[in-house]
Amino acid sequence: MILNGTFTFNGPRAKVWELLQDPAVLAKALPGTKSLTKVGENSYEGVMKVSVGPMSAAEFAVNVELKDQVPPERFVMHVDGKGGVGFTKGTATIELLEIKDQAGPVTVMNYSSDMQIGGKIAAVGQRLLESVGKMMTKQALDALNAELKARL
Amino acid sequence: MPAGARYLNARVVRNEDARLLTGRALFVDDVQLPGMLHVAFVRSEYAHGRITSVDVSAARQRPGVAAVYTAEDLGAYLKPGPILVSPPPIPGLVFHPCTQLPLAKDKVRHVGEPIAMIVAESRYVAEDALRDVSVDIDPIDAIVDLEKGLAPGAPLIHEHLQSNAAAHVVQRKGDYAGVRGSADLIVRRRFLYDRGVSAAMENRAVAVQWNARAEELTIWDTTQAPIPIRNGLAQMLGLLESQVNVIAPFVGGGFGPKIMMFYPEELLLPWAAMRLNRSLKWTEDRQENFYATTQERGQVHDAEMALTKDGRILGVHDVFLFDTGAYDPYGLTIPINTQCTLLGPYDIPHYESEFTAVFTNKTIVTPVRGAGRQHGVFVSERLLDLAARELGVDRVEIRKRNLLGPDRFPVNHEIMFQDSAPLIYDSGDYLPTLEQAAEMIGYDAFVRDEQPKLRAAGRHVGIGVACYVEGTGIGPYEGARVTVEPSGKVRCATGVGTQGQGHFTVFAQLVADALGVDVEHVKVVTGDTREFHWGTGTFASRGAVVAGSACHAAAMAVREKILNLASAVLNVPKEQLELADGRVFVAVEPDRGLSLGELSAKANPLRGAVRPGTEPGLESTAYFGPDRGSTASGVHAMILEVDAETATVEIKRYLVVHDCGTIINPMLVEGQIHGGVAHGIGNAFYEQLVYDEQGQLLNASFMDYLIPTATDVPSIETAHRETPSPYNPMGLKGVGEAGCIPTGALFAQAVEDALAGSGVEITEIPLSPNRLFELIERAKEGRT
Amino acid sequence: MIALDVSVNGVRYSREVEPRLLLSDFLRLDLGLTGTHVGCEHGVCGACTVLFDGEPVRSCIMLAVQADGHDLRTVESLASPTGELNPLQTAFRNAHGLQCGFCTPGFLMTLTAFLRDNPNPNDVEIRDALSANLCRCTGYHNIVEATKLACGRTLP
Repeated sequence: MILNGTFTFNGPRAKVWELLQDPAVLAKALPGTKSLTKVGENSYEGVMKVSVGPMSAAEFAVNVELKDQVPPERFVMHVDGKGGVGFTKGTATIELLEIKDQAGPVTVMNYSSDMQIGGKIAAVGQRLLESVGKMMTKQALDALNAELKARL
Repeated sequence: MPAGARYLNARVVRNEDARLLTGRALFVDDVQLPGMLHVAFVRSEYAHGRITSVDVSAARQRPGVAAVYTAEDLGAYLKPGPILVSPPPIPGLVFHPCTQLPLAKDKVRHVGEPIAMIVAESRYVAEDALRDVSVDIDPIDAIVDLEKGLAPGAPLIHEHLQSNAAAHVVQRKGDYAGVRGSADLIVRRRFLYDRGVSAAMENRAVAVQWNARAEELTIWDTTQAPIPIRNGLAQMLGLLESQVNVIAPFVGGGFGPKIMMFYPEELLLPWAAMRLNRSLKWTEDRQENFYATTQERGQVHDAEMALTKDGRILGVHDVFLFDTGAYDPYGLTIPINTQCTLLGPYDIPHYESEFTAVFTNKTIVTPVRGAGRQHGVFVSERLLDLAARELGVDRVEIRKRNLLGPDRFPVNHEIMFQDSAPLIYDSGDYLPTLEQAAEMIGYDAFVRDEQPKLRAAGRHVGIGVACYVEGTGIGPYEGARVTVEPSGKVRCATGVGTQGQGHFTVFAQLVADALGVDVEHVKVVTGDTREFHWGTGTFASRGAVVAGSACHAAAMAVREKILNLASAVLNVPKEQLELADGRVFVAVEPDRGLSLGELSAKANPLRGAVRPGTEPGLESTAYFGPDRGSTASGVHAMILEVDAETATVEIKRYLVVHDCGTIINPMLVEGQIHGGVAHGIGNAFYEQLVYDEQGQLLNASFMDYLIPTATDVPSIETAHRETPSPYNPMGLKGVGEAGCIPTGALFAQAVEDALAGSGVEITEIPLSPNRLFELIERAKEGRT
Repeated sequence: MIALDVSVNGVRYSREVEPRLLLSDFLRLDLGLTGTHVGCEHGVCGACTVLFDGEPVRSCIMLAVQADGHDLRTVESLASPTGELNPLQTAFRNAHGLQCGFCTPGFLMTLTAFLRDNPNPNDVEIRDALSANLCRCTGYHNIVEATKLACGRTLP
């Protein structure tokens, strides 16, 4: 499943970068995250509950590794999720660009991700995966943006 | 057959219906045994990968779980399954046998491959325990595309081989290369023909009872082949064949995949039942069926036909790839059927057909109704249609010019058929069949008068006519035992199973006619190795032909016994005796006779020895094994309308003119044709298995894999013709697959005709509204 | 466990069941009424159709506890107590409206409700009413013919 897009954060890039590296913040922002903890220099472990069509609250154990980091410009996220209804494996590349706006600095995030999804959730929820992915992404980014604004 | 055969060509209502209509028929999932445990399987979520660990410890701890088995637990029982059909002795044939293990070890090669078996007190608990099992797999890139699978550097699915080619076969007749140069026209295209799951309404199931005290194993199995299953399992489990009983009770549709044998579940349940000393049952759920039960998929053909300018075929050259899935236990039946069925009813003097079977990381491919024949028919019918257009010859006319005439039989095509015998057409009369179909659909009047009017009104209505010849009724053999009981009722036991074809009625009709009894008084027993244990199974449209012929032979042997005994009892030469209404009597003195029940009691004397060379009772067992298969044939015709904006299709008329030799029960023959046509319509326009590049099946449910419904399938008109087969005494030919063989070719022809002038050319099946829309748009762009 | 009080084919049953027990499994396993068949377990094929207070429902996507206090009819209720087929079943037999018989109970229950409410449907209405039940054997042709026969319209 390919999910690419752009999102504009209302704040400076350095702050956005900070938020993206904070598991406590991410845990609150990502819909369905039950827990997300830093377990290594650049790796995280967590549990997520995802609903796709007929499968509600399917639980996934997730490992995330951050690589190729060029703070505060870009990094690549490697995701490995496993659950009772399937697995998901893939990468997401995040690029941040700061733009000086009249109202203050904004950060434009370009993201491109390619996730392989398998098991029951792919077989039965296929038609819905993309829209669920887009929705979760939007919710997460909106929540992060709200947190960003709250901290400024 | 005795004169005045009352039940031949007779629309007899079925003996089995009362049980089925009242819900009293036993299907395997209905089996309930004391203390029975239930089984679920942990299945691979990856299409290709190395298993690095399987941890079942948590599952074993779950309350209600009796046992969890992995490949490690099987010991010596962990063996690759057998090759079920050895490839025929075709010169130069290359075949790499690679079969599945009952539980995967080291590597997984398709999504759904079983990795662990959970036995628990209910299916609910067993499925709960699935989530306790932790499987780690290192993924390898999956092979889903046939050409990419053969490309150098492609990951190897079976690492002991040099490539992912499973087989390579060339069959030749005449000298195509030599004749090609003299052709006035060569039509060449690439054709894609994909199929799908059989989707019987009943999923597979296996129930097992191990009686440790009697040392007897009873297995209820939704199989089309109970006898080979019994024999194979006995050997694998170290039991005598007679210690194993396999019962295929009522089976809710077979269509091919239920004759794949030694499925992992069939092997594992008896093994586990014996270890645990408990009864077990596994029932597949619908999603599992998409992975765990075999299916048919695609072929890619690069084919050309050489013709003269009046449309006479000089020869055909076809090179194709065949998707065999992750393993190839069923050998090369499907692609060889494709090679043979491509020839159709046509006189094709020069033919070269070459195929490469390719392993892919998808479910195993084994025959599904039609078994590769539709792919061959698609190629030849499409090439003829395209040639007709280029030469300016009418589509029906070009077919007429190429049909084999009735004087040509038996026709020896020189290449080899799936039964390892040369492909020989035994009998047929193709021209009248084609003419009748064209007349019934009103072909000439439609093309000449109606279609131009519709086109002028902006409507896209097309007509299609497609022909096929189908090899049926192949050996090796079947057997039957017929017994007249003292009640006067007759029992007929045969080894084949039944999945809805009406065997309880059709075989009864044959026996009833031989013995002069009412068809309702013949009780047929099928699919139970306790009753009859010699034979193979139902496949390749052979049930009525082979098992029916055996029932007929056994009944005729009993008839002889009746006449001999009655002659002695009545003191009358047997030529003067007649059998009717359950009695044997003197023809000119009907009151002088006795009922068959009375005679049967006399045949089993309490006093007086049975003389040497005779047997007690009125019972006989007989076998029938044809030398080779008989060839049925037919023509399908259709009128359909395409909505050029939405690319939806509406079938206005669909008819089938069919020749399956002597007909026993026309009502059942029509039913088989209706069902086949519906399946064909599904394959042509609604059904497709959609895999992503990593071998994940994206539509493993009826929500997304579309089976045609009552509003998608039209009423089907049928007409019968009969050219009896010389290979069996009754002249029977098979009919089970006929309905779905030319449907794809017919759809392509009719849709193309509906869109004539638009530039749309159909060289693939299935279509769908989406795909047809794409083709229409692409043609528009091509033209502007 | 939850208490369940339900009438099936005119017989009252009181049971304790797990909340997640499917209605189809309750009928087949707990009550031994195996005439209702399970074809897909996701509500598409209709083989599991039973009448719930007279209306057709898919028992594979219902929970047994949803039937508490209700009246169910399954295929076993159609024939007479001595096993004589009712007119709809007889029509199916005469018109060869079944082959393997697995989907048949679902069609019979769907039609029992449909014909009760629409005693004289035309061909289009019949096909429409049947369009939510899948059959892989018959191609529907003879199921439609059986329905017409059951309505008193004779076969051609």
